[in-house]
Amino acid sequence: MIVDIVERSLREGSPLIPVEALLNNCQGSRMPDVQPALLTPDIARGVKEICPTAAFTTNEENHQLELRLSYGKCIGCGRCIEVGEGAVVPAQGFKWTGVSKEGLVRRWDVNQKVEIAAVGASPEEARKQIYSMLGRALNIRQLDPGSCNGCEAEITALTNPCYDLERFGMHFVASPKHADLLLVTGPVTRNMADAVKATYQAMPAPRLVVAVGACGCSGGIFANSYAVAGAVDAMLPVDGYIPGCPPTPAMLVTGLLNVLQRCLGIFLSLAGKR
Amino acid sequence: MKNSSTPGDSERERAPAAADSSVPWAQSGPSGRLVTLFGSLNERRDVVVRYVFDMGDPEYRIDDRQVKETLASITPQVPAAAWYERELHDQYGVVISGHPDLRPLLFHGNWPEGVHPMLELPANISWANREYRFLEVQGQGVCEVPVGPVHAGIIEPGHFRFSVVGDTVLHLELRHFYTHKGTEKLFEGSAVESGAMIAESVSGDNCFAHAVAYCQAVEKACGVSAPARASAIRLLGLELERLAAHIGDVGFLGNDVGFVVANALASSIKESLLQASARCFGTRYWRGVACLGGVRVDLDAGKGSELRLVIAAAARKFAKLAHIIVETPSVQNRFDSAGVLKEKVARDLAVVGPAARASGVDVDVRRDHPYGHYNGLRLEVPVTHYGDVLARARIRIAEAAVSARLLEETLSALPGGEIIAPVPLAGHAQGCSAVESPRGELFYWVEIEDRRLKRCHIKSPSFQNWPAIPFAVTGEIIADFPLINKSFNLSYSGCDR
Repeated sequence: MIVDIVERSLREGSPLIPVEALLNNCQGSRMPDVQPALLTPDIARGVKEICPTAAFTTNEENHQLELRLSYGKCIGCGRCIEVGEGAVVPAQGFKWTGVSKEGLVRRWDVNQKVEIAAVGASPEEARKQIYSMLGRALNIRQLDPGSCNGCEAEITALTNPCYDLERFGMHFVASPKHADLLLVTGPVTRNMADAVKATYQAMPAPRLVVAVGACGCSGGIFANSYAVAGAVDAMLPVDGYIPGCPPTPAMLVTGLLNVLQRCLGIFLSLAGKR
Repeated sequence: MKNSSTPGDSERERAPAAADSSVPWAQSGPSGRLVTLFGSLNERRDVVVRYVFDMGDPEYRIDDRQVKETLASITPQVPAAAWYERELHDQYGVVISGHPDLRPLLFHGNWPEGVHPMLELPANISWANREYRFLEVQGQGVCEVPVGPVHAGIIEPGHFRFSVVGDTVLHLELRHFYTHKGTEKLFEGSAVESGAMIAESVSGDNCFAHAVAYCQAVEKACGVSAPARASAIRLLGLELERLAAHIGDVGFLGNDVGFVVANALASSIKESLLQASARCFGTRYWRGVACLGGVRVDLDAGKGSELRLVIAAAARKFAKLAHIIVETPSVQNRFDSAGVLKEKVARDLAVVGPAARASGVDVDVRRDHPYGHYNGLRLEVPVTHYGDVLARARIRIAEAAVSARLLEETLSALPGGEIIAPVPLAGHAQGCSAVESPRGELFYWVEIEDRRLKRCHIKSPSFQNWPAIPFAVTGEIIADFPLINKSFNLSYSGCDR
């Protein structure tokens, strides 16, 4: 019987998705993007008004209207797209994953109809750097401090044959004592607060923390609940943010590679000093 | 065995709860199945408790009574009520007389005493350090094995306290609610339209079932129903969610007995369904699709035929794979007669979903309380009575086949017309609705006032089924626990809310 299965899986060929198809891919994530050329003050105020998690905000100073989008708060409900009259559209590519907290925020000058100082690292470079710099496996410990299990479902998918995170030298471990990186979803509930601290304490230094999902990045839809202690960075120092509700496996891969690109230099130099 | 957990043990009332004539079955015991019980506040801010029973009719039976000073527990006659009454005690501070165990359920040691958020939410909740006492099993050679809340894998948090002699489990006590997020409180005061977004975030792999159950409850309260095409699209989402969940679960059962290749194949098949959902509906897990009065995304004919092909291929591949998994002798050796949940226990604890149907309890909301597109649909409900891991695997395999058939039937004759109907939200209204989620009966009760939610209660199948797991584990070896637990595959977040 087992032989049948091995035969079958050999016959079917590999479902592995090539890395080029994963990087920046956000199909199925429902993340929004803004077409600055079509922005008007009314649209900017309208999307700010409709956003349930205040991911869209506006700032009005000296007759200048600025529209801001914090991907860390976005749950992908799509209402901004419904009222955005074409100026807000589903994102076709997505590079704001695995970024710093500031990197989660995009800004547009509504009057000038341009984006202000776009940030985001190039995943292509990340890929090159991983291969050149990551001379050993990266061990990831996943921690659920109160998530709805949506992010966990997508993180689990990273180990399936389509995404196969192991090809990047990344590997999920059972013990925080074996981990280099803590991949934390959110929100952190009050009941989990002690366990989150204990898990982080158990990790050897140097260690990286990555916050995953709208709830991990900002508390998401649960931000104001009495039972929630906060987003991940309310508890732990966070090195990178992967937004989405939940982030798709492709966004997780892109995000993890981006985090490593941004942090690996620091990471290896710390390891050298030990 | 000594229960050292409840203070004042000796005075514990074991006698049946005092007869309360307002609840007809309080003296004789109900003939029906407990669905849920929960509190809410009336206009004078008195606590009103609602008891929901399935009496075998299409409509659920709901009785309510106002809490005077104390509330008589129904747990001695209806063991399935135990956690609900503890939750009621935590949420509303209702003193429940005659309950065998009123330790805090939702709030752990770092919560101060006397916080009852549904009654009144303090501006600042201080951090405390209270002790929690587990049931202590005494005797020669008894060891306690604490497991969790952080588990060795990509798993939600929860605590299991095993009392073992050697490898054999004498007793398992659960301590959950680590992921308690105050979700029912979060609904209060929210715009009714926003409720679906909160419902979607209750249990991340059953999000569409939650969203549909919520929307149906509001639609029922407002006296409208979704148009035929929207109901059919909802069925597609519900059955795709079930198909993906069951395929994933069966694969992981293989994984837990070392059959890793089977899991790799199953997860690829599941992935093909998620990717097809992303292409056809813009979302892998069907978030943001359900809305009040219908659905927000239509399915064009081209995508419909693509979806049919993907589903047919997935069902065909999974049927072959599943056959190999359950017919492999080394797998059978582990699955067969492991973690038996007896029918009597399943009935006493009002277990629902695949776990119930694997233990001879023939319940399925789709057939017993039909909703939407399931009305008038012919539905086979696979049932078996063995109650072991193998039975739960076989039930999921059979249900996956039924789901694939339902999807094919629905996609081949998708009704035309609108996908959304207007929902008049003004005024005060109450409504309830249930959906058969992949884990079983999911029930929502909503009360709305002036376009805002006054109360939303969620009965999740996991909250109902978790207390049954210790019964399936007792007498087994501790090394079989991950497999037995996986065969139930309950949601922690759905339970803890």
